[in-house]
Amino acid sequence: MSKVKTHKVIGFRSTRLAIIFFVFILLLSMKFGPYNQFQLANIATLLIAVLSITLLTGASGQISLGQGAIMAVGGYSAALLVTRLEISMWLAFVLAIFVSALFGLFLGLAAARLSGPYLAGTTLVMALAIPSIAIRFDSFFSGDIGFSVDYGYPPDWLTNLLGEITIEEWSLYVALPFAALSLFAVLNLSNTRSGRTWRAVRDNEVAASLAGINIARTKIIVFVCSSALAGLAGAIYGFRGLVAPSVYPTDLSLLLLTAAVIGGLRSIGGAIFGTFVIVFLPDVIERVTKFLELPETISIYLPALMIGLLLLLTVILNPRGSAGALEHIRHRHKH
Amino acid sequence: MLKVANLVTEFASIKALNDISFQAKPGRITTVIGANGAGKSTLLRTISGLERPTSGSIKWFDEELTDKSVEAIVRSGVAQVPEGHAVISQLSVAENIELGGLFRKRQARGDLEIATKEVYELFPILFERRREPAGSLSGGERQMLAISRALVARPKLLLLDEPSLGLAPLISAQIISIVDQLCKSTGLTVLLVEQNANTALAVADHGILLALGKVVADLPAKELIADSALRAAYLGY
Amino acid sequence: MNSFLTAFFAGTSQGAIYALVSLGLVLVWRGAGVVNFAQMGQAMFTTYIASQLIQNEYSYWSAFVIALISGALLGALVDLGIMRPLSSRKNSQLLNSQSMRTTVPVIASLGILGVLKALAGIFWAGEERGFPAPVPTTGLRLGNSDLAITGFDLFVIGVVFLALVLTTIFFTRTGMGLAMRASALNPEVTRLSGIRVGSVRTLSWAISGTASSLAGLLVTPKTNLSPNTLDLLLIIGFTAAVVGGLTSLAGSVLGGFILGYVIAFVNVYSAPENVFLAILIFLLLALFLRPQGILGSKEVRRV
Repeated sequence: MSKVKTHKVIGFRSTRLAIIFFVFILLLSMKFGPYNQFQLANIATLLIAVLSITLLTGASGQISLGQGAIMAVGGYSAALLVTRLEISMWLAFVLAIFVSALFGLFLGLAAARLSGPYLAGTTLVMALAIPSIAIRFDSFFSGDIGFSVDYGYPPDWLTNLLGEITIEEWSLYVALPFAALSLFAVLNLSNTRSGRTWRAVRDNEVAASLAGINIARTKIIVFVCSSALAGLAGAIYGFRGLVAPSVYPTDLSLLLLTAAVIGGLRSIGGAIFGTFVIVFLPDVIERVTKFLELPETISIYLPALMIGLLLLLTVILNPRGSAGALEHIRHRHKH
Repeated sequence: MLKVANLVTEFASIKALNDISFQAKPGRITTVIGANGAGKSTLLRTISGLERPTSGSIKWFDEELTDKSVEAIVRSGVAQVPEGHAVISQLSVAENIELGGLFRKRQARGDLEIATKEVYELFPILFERRREPAGSLSGGERQMLAISRALVARPKLLLLDEPSLGLAPLISAQIISIVDQLCKSTGLTVLLVEQNANTALAVADHGILLALGKVVADLPAKELIADSALRAAYLGY
Repeated sequence: MNSFLTAFFAGTSQGAIYALVSLGLVLVWRGAGVVNFAQMGQAMFTTYIASQLIQNEYSYWSAFVIALISGALLGALVDLGIMRPLSSRKNSQLLNSQSMRTTVPVIASLGILGVLKALAGIFWAGEERGFPAPVPTTGLRLGNSDLAITGFDLFVIGVVFLALVLTTIFFTRTGMGLAMRASALNPEVTRLSGIRVGSVRTLSWAISGTASSLAGLLVTPKTNLSPNTLDLLLIIGFTAAVVGGLTSLAGSVLGGFILGYVIAFVNVYSAPENVFLAILIFLLLALFLRPQGILGSKEVRRV
């Protein structure tokens, strides 16, 4: 009985957090100009992808350097469905989730046998190889050019409700509900019994298997859930304008990992924080370089340098990320 | 002379060693006995630096060992033969022995050659099988190899962790008697951890009985053998 | 027949370079338990150093030697400055999870890679530049017929062969080599033998840095040099290392040559755009069919 009760309380809490996130971004967007609204849309989209890493690492302790490739799977599925079969974008997004989940199943079957460096390396190879498939089979995937796809126009009832909607606002309105739903799903997953099972596997595989947990099955389920999220993110990300190999480069995979790491690989709040950092940091740096009148060679590479340094500082100072550091400080204050 | 005083070693705030104090004299075998989980191995691992004590002191003559690294402790003449006949099975017998003396190859190349020759004389079977991988040796031979690896470092203090574990009684008796001879002939200090109290007390000069991380008896070996009440209470026979 | 020879010679000389990269990865994996994704970033950086020296009128060979030395220093610096603090007591207490402890160094190496690429961009403007070869890169001629091999290919094969011989002598004939093998196999027994395992680990980072720096010097005359050029080499080297079993030095070298032939034959008989896919398929096959690697030990590896 008590178990059911806790479950309900947690469900309520995650609903509340997802709504808070939704409203917060919406309020923020009202204060912002078009460019920053577009960035908020990016944050909402990339947050889904970062959550897919948080879920994967938080649950299995492994890292994937190939989330960008799974995003490509989602993006291409949705783009092919929309351009070839002319189905609606929303249905295409939902189907893209299923296709990437299926892909995650195959990945999980392989990954259940891999740990640590093997998985990291294999997913990195995957990050390079998957986009090259699009070029290899260019008659089907239309090669380097890719597919031009967009969010279309907002429906009439929404324009009637809100008045004129700009492209930037519309892209935010598309991405934000998905981000809030993903947040809700991940928060719920990590608090249920399966979430606890996953953490047990992460902390000590041997102990977990002695406790009767099926390690391989657990890992596969984690991969399926994580890939479903990444695929959804990839579809929304591609529909900003273009689904092509250049939209999902290896650097994207690394950027997502950076967001997850600096926020704290196990913390969902950390994932939100990390996503804000990777989206806004380049802008902040650009303003600083303009203000200081730094030469171009420095200003081009400064964002990458800062992100690399941030990654390094995080793992050296506190490998649990900023969320871990906060926890540490709170813990100390209590004593 | 090894002097251990008020030694405490904790694992996740559980005291595996709780206020241990004792001494081991040069040229003697001091044995540490006790049931499983009494803290015997932890004691040896703390002396050799593999575990860090929470408090207390370990003095080897005038040197304090507690703040030194494992490598530095080995270099000041303390060699440990870890539990489970630890040799590196992928390396050859000769390489395992060479490894033991590697750190003093530059200063004492001549003595290293003599020391190597001595261990081969002590255990001729190792010389015969010197080119074979250590993994192909029998349990007893592995234990001989593990001891040889420690001996080529010319230690003054030898820490032996359950050398008879998993060995046939005849072979373990042979190994222990060789250690006993070494001790008498070279003035080596030996700290011998054994679960098999009878074998250990038979050769030891002094016995220390551990239970749940504490010293419950610190007596000459002969008295410890004779005290049937102690044995019944802590060793179960 | 002619295209077969082309593929074969290209495969041998490229395979020799992959063997170096793979060897570097395996050295650090065995010695420090880290797969160093920054390895070719380090090599890229030292190749830029060599390029800068050659621009400043240094001879090819002095630039070559300085690049190798910087490779060793950079490798040691990565260990001392980043990897060692990471494995400190405080951090291992923070990470009460087994899998996270192996994951964190991987993340750190990615951070190093990012920093090195950005620094190279800032210092050397990031645009692609050529890198000289000490011997002609044109095809050799025998009498009247063109051979499918260039003088530079022969140079690469010769240099790598020499490097591999020196490495083998170091590991099998010297005390330091024994200490390195021992501490990779069993750090505890090695420490109990009085060997400073920390220094041995730093040394394996340094040797790995030298090997990959050499790979960078040998590959860039063909690929040119930019902050990203050597990324592909890392992917190939990793695959070669996995094919070789990730723990065996000889296996890693063999894996490098195998990858060299696979890629060369795919290039010649199929199309260059198939190369990535071929690498991925090859990697997955290696992981599933022979997880212990071609020369890996019989013991089941915990992947």
